[in-house]
Amino acid sequence: MRNRMSTLTLNQKLALAAVLLGAIALFAAPYPGSRVTLDAKELALAVAKEADHVEAPELAAWIIESRADYRLIDLRSEAEYAQYHIPTAVNVPMGNLTDAGLGRQETLVLYSDGGIHSAQAWMLLKAQGYKGVYMLKGGLEEWKDRVVFPVLADNPTSEQRSGDERLRSVSTFFGGQPRSASAVSAGGGGMPGMAMPTAPALPKVTAPPSPAGGAKPGPAKKKEGC
Amino acid sequence: MMAPFFKYGMFGDETSLVVAFLIGIGFGFFLERAGFGSARKLVSQFYLNDLAVFKVMFTAIVTAMLGVTYLGWIGWLDLSLVYLVPTYLMPQIVGGLILGVGFVVGGYCPGTSVAATATGRIDGLVYVVGIFAGMFAFAEMYPLVKGFYLSGAGVAMTIPGTFDVPYGVVVFAVVLMAVGGFYGAGLLEKKFATAAGE
Repeated sequence: MRNRMSTLTLNQKLALAAVLLGAIALFAAPYPGSRVTLDAKELALAVAKEADHVEAPELAAWIIESRADYRLIDLRSEAEYAQYHIPTAVNVPMGNLTDAGLGRQETLVLYSDGGIHSAQAWMLLKAQGYKGVYMLKGGLEEWKDRVVFPVLADNPTSEQRSGDERLRSVSTFFGGQPRSASAVSAGGGGMPGMAMPTAPALPKVTAPPSPAGGAKPGPAKKKEGC
Repeated sequence: MMAPFFKYGMFGDETSLVVAFLIGIGFGFFLERAGFGSARKLVSQFYLNDLAVFKVMFTAIVTAMLGVTYLGWIGWLDLSLVYLVPTYLMPQIVGGLILGVGFVVGGYCPGTSVAATATGRIDGLVYVVGIFAGMFAFAEMYPLVKGFYLSGAGVAMTIPGTFDVPYGVVVFAVVLMAVGGFYGAGLLEKKFATAAGE
């Protein structure tokens, strides 16, 4: 045996080592699976620093720019999703969260009606080692309030006016229209936004569906070559 | 310590550029050491009398694959955080064919052309100029080809995930493929070296 080994060339020995390592790798399970280590301190800090969420206007800007480096996840039921969803969102009902094939390396933005379901889903995904998970702050309600039907002041100062112009164009992009502050207060806080699903200009998915790329935002994708 | 270091925030964008630079220098150095700074060496693989390119590249693949597998297994590397290029199947097949034609015609592939330029080869420099001209042309044409360029799911596909094969089986199969390929390459080299009279 020893003699046979010594007659092999270095390349042959290396090839033999590779085959052995490969054979052992048959039993390898390099993906961690459901084993989880949670760093509670780190999570708490992320929450405290508000690094766990995206604000509605910010998300609106991403959609308008048709950024493709994140995935927008609608956590509500299929029926609710069919009725209305934020453009580019994909539907992953809460129950399917863990087997929806979301990538741990993807940037995910979660939303639900309010904030509770998305916060719970955020925790679950964090606990499974998903790194880039964010919630839409305030959920669909804040989305309606701040993006689709934003409230504009009645007598805007010139400073406010330019901001209003932007709000107006964003709101039109998503098929809504701004509300005046007086109408909102006269209505006793009644939400015209609640009429959203029946609004005539209700946007079906208008923006092109994002090619759900898996990259983090930031540096451009690295290309590989030989 | 747990890899990937960048994803775990152990260094930022600037440091990652330095790391990329060092790895790039190493990559170029070993391309040159393997003789891949010469178009003659590279192209002789298409005449089947010197399959060094095939052997070096496949060795690199097997080495990296085994390393990544074992690091993941013992828990030093979180494989699920390693960035995978999204799969656009048809565009990538077409892109691969274009790159292959460029390789046969120009005698280099992008990385080796840069290594050749660094050692002062004029054909390498011409190739690099061609790369940039092609990139410029592509960027100008982008609106025309965008539809095809982004066609397909755009989600990273893997062999274990798509065909539902255990990860380890794929690793072993690739190793066997490599070793079998090296053996076959040796036979081919013997056969065609005599035919080419070298």
